[in-house]
Amino acid sequence: MVSDALAEALDLTTFWEYREVLLRGLAFNVYTFLAAATVSIAIGLAAALLRVNRLRPLRWAGTVHVELFRNAPDYIMVVWVHFVLPLLLGKLLGSRIEFDPFVSAVIALGFVYSGYFAETFRTGIQAIPLGHLEAARACGMSERQILWRITLPQVVRRMLPEAVNIFVSQFKATTIISLIAVPDLMYRVGMVLQQEMKPLPLYTGAALTYFIVVYLFAGTVRALSERWRNRIYA
Amino acid sequence: MHVESGVDAVPAIRVVDLHKRFGTLDVLRGVSFDVRRGDVVSMIGASGSGKSTLLRCINRLETPSSGEVYIDGEPMGHRGQGDAKARSLAEINMMRRDLGMVFQQFNLWPHMTVLGNVIEAPIRVRGMSRREATALGEECLARVHLEEKSKEYPARLSGGQQQRVAIARALAMRPKAMLFDEPTSSLDPELTDEVLVVMRELAADGTTMIVVTHEMGFAREASDRVLFLHNGLIEEEGPPSQVFGAPKSERCRQFLSKHVQ
Repeated sequence: MVSDALAEALDLTTFWEYREVLLRGLAFNVYTFLAAATVSIAIGLAAALLRVNRLRPLRWAGTVHVELFRNAPDYIMVVWVHFVLPLLLGKLLGSRIEFDPFVSAVIALGFVYSGYFAETFRTGIQAIPLGHLEAARACGMSERQILWRITLPQVVRRMLPEAVNIFVSQFKATTIISLIAVPDLMYRVGMVLQQEMKPLPLYTGAALTYFIVVYLFAGTVRALSERWRNRIYA
Repeated sequence: MHVESGVDAVPAIRVVDLHKRFGTLDVLRGVSFDVRRGDVVSMIGASGSGKSTLLRCINRLETPSSGEVYIDGEPMGHRGQGDAKARSLAEINMMRRDLGMVFQQFNLWPHMTVLGNVIEAPIRVRGMSRREATALGEECLARVHLEEKSKEYPARLSGGQQQRVAIARALAMRPKAMLFDEPTSSLDPELTDEVLVVMRELAADGTTMIVVTHEMGFAREASDRVLFLHNGLIEEEGPPSQVFGAPKSERCRQFLSKHVQ
């Protein structure tokens, strides 16, 4: 009996039959991930710069951001942004507001993971030797030039392995956007389930699909960046 | 006797009554001196005597508690000509271009090639084209005898080579004066010489230089004037023959007896 169930779970013919519709769902995972990752990096960098600022209230604001979003479960954030945030904004602006599910997903996952990126950026920024900045100041470079030309290029190289880890988590978190009816891979797995009633092979197929995407993504980034990253070390 | 002309009467660097306090610690307690164009001034003294802080106050990596530094007659800290308003960071950046600085720890930017390090500030700060800056950068690397390393990354160079790149980087801004903060102190003895050779060549070319150093040989042979600092004050100053040959101050004599073989 057990081996029957196992054999059924590992038989991917059902998944393969629906491959086209399912993989079109995967495209939504990828879009959501790319948009949310962009949001995370931009907001994470801003929050990190607040956290290393000289002014205490700004540092404090950065810390609040990190704690708030890093500690929020992404599942709840997705639901909250989609159903509660529009009500709040609607109340403030005095009009009815509704978010497209895709937009809600990008905002929610973008903000949650910005908390992780903020911490990674911050530790990267603080790891840059002060002497590198002093050398740039002594040449007359402005603080903005120092940030973009001296600090961040080094931070990105140092933080890349950790950033890949965060990207992987963030991509895997896109499996929950089916909750608010973004027609992603999981959403479509659910739809097919209602017809085929074969949950095990469909979930195995989905798991395998995510695994392959993540594995290829992480491996490619590592392979392409290794030389570029390690040049800065003796 | 050298007669100073009107232009030459303005020193390249003039330090007037400089004080620096860190909390309750008085690191500099009223230091004044002039550096004429083309002069090499060595600053010697024990650790903690204030010589590095003094150098860092000159290009305002440290803000002096009081006193003023003049570069070619232009005050660093305020706008001058009756305007006592403090300079903004942007204005101080403008003035820093004219002072090349070389650090004990080299501080090359590891993500840029050797040439990239040298041409970064000429492009970003002086607004040179890349082609113009590259020609200038290669010229500066030739002056430190490293033209063949221009495409390497700093991590691949020895300490002595890195420090010579740092010198080229400072030269590429065509500064009015060069400041050296213990440039050989973190180098193995066998790498010290290649840096000192370059510095002697710069000195011989008429580069205005202030050198904080523990290399008594360099201070004695390559400088026009030597300042001995003690407890945040200039305790002894004069031509090297006088400071090394017949120091007036007892402390200077003690310091030299410990540091000159």
